[in-house]
Amino acid sequence: MGQIRLQRVTKRFENGFEALSEVTTEFEAGSMTFLTGHSGAGKSTFLKLLIRADTPTRGQILVNDVDIGGLSAARLPLYRRHIGVVFQDHHLLAARTVFDNVAMPLRVAGMREREVARRVRASLTTVELLGKEGLLPSHLSTGEQQRIGIARAVVTRPRILLADEPTGNLDPDLSRHIMDLFTRFNQVGTTVIVASHEIDLIETMGKRILHLEGGRVVSDRAGDSSTESPAQSDPTESVEVGS
Amino acid sequence: MVGIALALPAGLWILQVNMDEMSAQWEGRPGLSVYFTLQADNASVAAVQGYLEDQQNIDRVELTTAKDALEEFKTYSGLGSALDLLGSNPLPASLQARFAQSIGPIEVELLINETQAFAGVAEVVVEKTWLERLNELSRVVSRLGAMLAVLFGLGAVLVTASSVRLAIEARLDELRVLKLVGATPGQVRRPFLYFGAIYGFGGGVVAAMLIAITILVIEPPLQGLLGSYQQTLDLAGFGPLFLTVLLLVGSGLGILGALMAVRQRVRDLEVV
Ligand SMILES: Nc1ncnc2c1ncn2[C@@H]1O[C@H](COP(=O)(O)OP(=O)(O)OP(=O)(O)O)[C@@H](O)[C@H]1O
Ligand SMILES: [Mg+2]
Repeated sequence: MGQIRLQRVTKRFENGFEALSEVTTEFEAGSMTFLTGHSGAGKSTFLKLLIRADTPTRGQILVNDVDIGGLSAARLPLYRRHIGVVFQDHHLLAARTVFDNVAMPLRVAGMREREVARRVRASLTTVELLGKEGLLPSHLSTGEQQRIGIARAVVTRPRILLADEPTGNLDPDLSRHIMDLFTRFNQVGTTVIVASHEIDLIETMGKRILHLEGGRVVSDRAGDSSTESPAQSDPTESVEVGS
Repeated sequence: MVGIALALPAGLWILQVNMDEMSAQWEGRPGLSVYFTLQADNASVAAVQGYLEDQQNIDRVELTTAKDALEEFKTYSGLGSALDLLGSNPLPASLQARFAQSIGPIEVELLINETQAFAGVAEVVVEKTWLERLNELSRVVSRLGAMLAVLFGLGAVLVTASSVRLAIEARLDELRVLKLVGATPGQVRRPFLYFGAIYGFGGGVVAAMLIAITILVIEPPLQGLLGSYQQTLDLAGFGPLFLTVLLLVGSGLGILGALMAVRQRVRDLEVV
């Protein structure tokens, strides 16, 4: 589960601009990949196609051998429930408490409130923000807000976790911290793809780096085999995150 | 807005129901006047009088002979001496028949035709009282009401739709996140459909209040007006059933409006 394959994926916008050209690549289930490239290289477009916020102009995206371009309006929400998404500007709802923000995906899935509460606390523990449930996002620091966004993305224990510039406006220490968090989710078997232009940082992570420029894959470097660790326990349950 | 939209057609409906009621229980009944030719003899007049008196639909028949008519005219016009100069009586005899309560328009038509067929009858005139005007008005009102109901119903839907559109714009961020985390279109729509239903229901309540106030305002003068005709006023139509229908229609229109607004907007909403 969590396997993603792109076959000659091209995305051309209405204005004729081609943001992705004939991209063919594969992400194994449980793998972790950094997507890098200059501004405008097509990283965000790539991720948008994966959550089917948009569809390829040509080519196919297969997730667990299902062409997501062919998902019906009824199936699409169910597909999205298996994917966690983190953005640079975290998309938190300002008028809702931290708890309600993180609980959103669970409530949408119709989970009972008791289980929701348990999962939200587990997820907040993972990002070291347990105790802040009752606060509004605006009461938190930028780094904390970003971690709330991550907590929301992983609260459903998705098979696939996508992040677009998750460390965009954080200082280097915090960025490293966030990247480590993603590594931990990957360690329990989640397929993780993180788009980031912070080359220096991601080079130290020892993971696969897929380099896009002008909508094409210009290099694809495998990670250190030593860092590819087998699945352990569920980080949303217990893992402590080092600082 | 929705309240006013609903109040007008609903109010007109009540007005129409009451006009029908009023004409049904009308007692200042109209009648028929039969005018004879100047040449008509007493036998022809008596024949018609006999015919009318035999009719079940007619309560009472009064004869005004040519002589009576002339006397009456002299008395009321003050032109008595002038008429004396004419030598012969220029006024015809006539019969005034008064309809029974139960008479309907078809029977009236039949009576006119039959009466007209008698020898010596010059003209049969139905006294168009305001009963008939009321009936005609009632028909006009009911048509107007139907048209207004369609128009204002449409208006109510559009008004709700635009309110819901505003509500959607105010919550776009939330809708995006909902879609992103896998909410179904139904889940995204639901709160707005509730909103529309409540909005429409509220409109129904306002409409009911507007109508109630209107009734309160027009009832005393109307009572006075009708009182002089020995008519009792008992406004019909404004009952529990009417209220229920009004509120249901209001809510239904609200939901319809909300659906219109939310459908496309939610489908086309970009999640990121
Ligand atoms: N809807 C659109 N219509 C036209 N062009 C678009 C659209 N969306 C994106 N683009 C273009 O596609 C290219 C790739 O955009 P994308 O957002 O994927 O880049 P990116 O790699 O994420 O860049 P950044 O690092 O700045 O976030 C850009 O040149 C952008 O202008
Ligand atoms: Mg981007």
